[in-house]
Parts: sequence; C-alpha cells; structure tokens
Amino acid sequence: MDTKSKLKEVLADLLKVKPEELKDDLSLQDSIGVDSTEMVESVIAIEKAFGVKLSPREITKSSSINDIEKVILSKA
Amino acid sequence: MDKIALTGIGAVSPSGIGKRQLWANIKSGRSFIKEITRFDASRYPSHIAGQIDDLEKYSTFSERLLKKIDAFSHMALIASELALQDAGVDIKQEDPNLVGIFLGNAIGGWLYAETELRDMYIEGREGVSPYMASAWFPAAPQGQVSIYYGIKGFSKTVVADRASSLMALGYARKILAKGKLNLILSGGMEAPVSPYALLCCNTYGGLSSDNQHPQEAYRPFDKRRSGFVIGEGSGVVVMESIERAKSRNANILALISGYGTTCDGVDRINSAVDGKELARAIRIALEDARAGIDEIDYISLDGIALDIWDNSEVGAIREVFGSRSKDIPVSCPKSMFGNLLGASGVLDMIIAIQAMEHSLIPPTINLDEPSIAGLNYVSKEAREHRIKKALIISRGRGGINSALIIEKA
Repeated sequence: MDTKSKLKEVLADLLKVKPEELKDDLSLQDSIGVDSTEMVESVIAIEKAFGVKLSPREITKSSSINDIEKVILSKA
Repeated sequence: MDKIALTGIGAVSPSGIGKRQLWANIKSGRSFIKEITRFDASRYPSHIAGQIDDLEKYSTFSERLLKKIDAFSHMALIASELALQDAGVDIKQEDPNLVGIFLGNAIGGWLYAETELRDMYIEGREGVSPYMASAWFPAAPQGQVSIYYGIKGFSKTVVADRASSLMALGYARKILAKGKLNLILSGGMEAPVSPYALLCCNTYGGLSSDNQHPQEAYRPFDKRRSGFVIGEGSGVVVMESIERAKSRNANILALISGYGTTCDGVDRINSAVDGKELARAIRIALEDARAGIDEIDYISLDGIALDIWDNSEVGAIREVFGSRSKDIPVSCPKSMFGNLLGASGVLDMIIAIQAMEHSLIPPTINLDEPSIAGLNYVSKEAREHRIKKALIISRGRGGINSALIIEKA
C-alpha cells in the first residue's frame, strides 16, 4: 500500500470518518472539521503507523493529506 | 417566584428508554435490578445494579463523537434528544443565546477515565487518549449537549451527590423565572456501573449486598432493608415559561412551582438523625409554591434504604405534614431500577409527572413491612389516586436536602 493510501486508512480508522472524506488537497479542518484533540491523536497515530517522529508544528489542522504525505516521505 | 412549564421529557433508565416504555414498566412494579454483566464484578461486596444494555439501539450519534465521550454524556445526549422531540422544539429555530443547560451529576465519567488510567500505567502517558481530559469530568455532558445543539446561553452543572439533578431543576426554574433565558434543558445523568465507580460506591458502605436476590435487594423503608442498589441513566426535561409554552401551543406536562434546599451540617456522609433540615427544605418548597400541606397529593421519597436516612426522611415528613402524613400516598419507585445517584431526582420527577398524568401512584417494591409505620406507603402494586400537586425529595451525602414541588398544569 502506498503512503497516501495508508495515511488515509490510518486517519479514517482513527477518526471514524470515511476515507473518501479525506481530500488530498483540502486541509483536515476544511475536509472533516478536525478539532485540536483529534489532531493530537492523529499525530500520535501517524508516528506509530509510519515509525517517524514529528515535531509539534509539522502537522496541523491546516495540513492536507498531500502535505502530511510529504512530511512522512521526507523522514523516510 | 413564577411557576415554570415542563413541556418535554427524555428518560434513559434501566426500566426503559423513552417516557412511555419507562412508565409501562414502572406502573407494573417490575424490577430491573440484576447481576452486573458489563465486567466481572463478582468479587465486589455488592455486584448488582440497574444496568442499561441497549443504549446504542436508541442512539443517533456518530461513532466519531462516541469515541470521545463517556457513557454518561451519551446518556445525556439521548435524553436531551428525546426531551426536545417530546416538546416539539426545533432547537435550530431558537435564539442560541437564550437557551441553557442545567444538569446534575455526582461522580463523573469513570468508564472512560479508568480505562485511560489503566492505559497510562501500562503504556505510559502516550497510551492515554487525548479525549480523556474532556470526557470524564462532571460538566462534560453539559459541554457535549451544548456543542451538539449549538446552545450558547447561561448554563450550569450541579455537583451535589444524589441531590444534584433535583438541585439543577430548582436552579433552572429560578433562572427561567427571572426571565434570563427562553428555554432550558435540565436534569442529570450518572454512569456508575464501572469497576472503579462501583468500588467507590461499595466502600461508601451504603450498598445492599443481597446479590443472591437482585430484584428484592433494594427495599426502602422496609424492616429488612440493607442499603441501596446503584443504577445508571439520565433524565432531561424541557423547561420554559408558561406564556411561551402556551404561545407555541405546547403540551404542558406539569409545572414546577416550588423548590427548597438546606444542609444538615453535621456529618461528612450521613444525614442528621432528626430530619429537621430536610423538614425545613420541604417547608421552603411549600412556601415557594404557595401550597398548603393539605394540597400535596403524593410524595416521591428519596429512600436509600439505610436506617438513618429513611428514618430521618419519615421524621421530616411527619414534622411538616403532622396528622396528614398518614393520608398522603408516598412511594419510592427507584426501588425497581436502582438509585441513579446524581440523576435520581430528575427520574423521580419524571415518574411523578407520569403518575400525575395517569392518576396512578407507582409502588415501592419490596416494602413488605415498614420499619416505621404511620405513612401511607404505596407498596407492591400501583394505586389509583388523583394528583394535583406532588412533592419530590432528593438528598445527598453530607446532609444535602432538596425538595421540589410540581403541579398539574
């Protein structure tokens, strides 16, 4: 599975939303109305799923799926 | 102070979800207390309760929301939705700044909290859900209901042990009578059927450990009483001014006309032996309602089935009502589904409203032989009786007394 598909699967499963609701180019806030606590949970889940360490402001509510994919790939 | 209209009821209880199912079971005198099955409680001194097993069946809330909240918030959301539907209120049409929420709770959301605490000790701080901080505390349901409906008005969560929800109702009525809000969702919620919460209730020492006979274990005012049994659930009602309710042609189910509260100030757990302060709370409520002792047709008892509490409650009723206390029918319907602690008062009021509507007094089950004679106990079976005004008594640890009067519209 490619990084983007896996990322969508992790977030959809975690946040109980449909994978198709997570739009590649839209921020998480605009696509699913993510809240700040969901962001905390998402960062922890991404770190676990991809074996990366994220600094506090690397992924925010304004990040899109494409943005997050870039961050993960840059640390691979 | 002005009387306030009650125009919608939402009930989530071990005896039924929705007011019709609840009333059908209550009037039949059927017990819903059973052995706890949610977790292995067999080693607890008391491991019986009024447990709700089919909450999801009545829930329309998303999985995304439910994973962030404790069961007590879930119950409050379902009860709020049922109450609004019953009242015929479309909350989107209301001015959100003039809608409030007044709820009571005693112990918080422990089902969520203890799971996360376990994870913290096993996995370290990263194992704890970030929702923990907003899921467990007593005001969490107020927050969740306000978010779900976009409610923005003055709101409050009352924490006063088992008296919490009756106190919330009294407070809500005061705010409406002052004209500060148009509409209030008021009541309470409690979810004590979890390992840690059950442990705390057990160490308090007030629970019946008659585990072999769950349906007979909770026997308020009976000679063979051995303490109360916990239950979980929520009750929420829609409250508004009489004028507003009439102007929108709402069905006014009852009016709240009086409220009184006092403290015993003698012990950190037990009530005062003499019931004098409870009597004073009842008198304040009667005066507030401008009701004489001859006008009360039914008393819904607190009845936690412990000597000092039951006896002082009987003492307070005798002190206030004198020779009339042998005539006024009294009962404690929570003997059928357990004591909902912080949500017990509102469930008692909801049942009293139904009793008023159907002219039928629900019984105290398991009351075979009163420990103190002299009150007009309705036991075992429901009894036909017209009710125009009813008194509801709710009390909490440390000697918190509250009394509420409702009357027919």
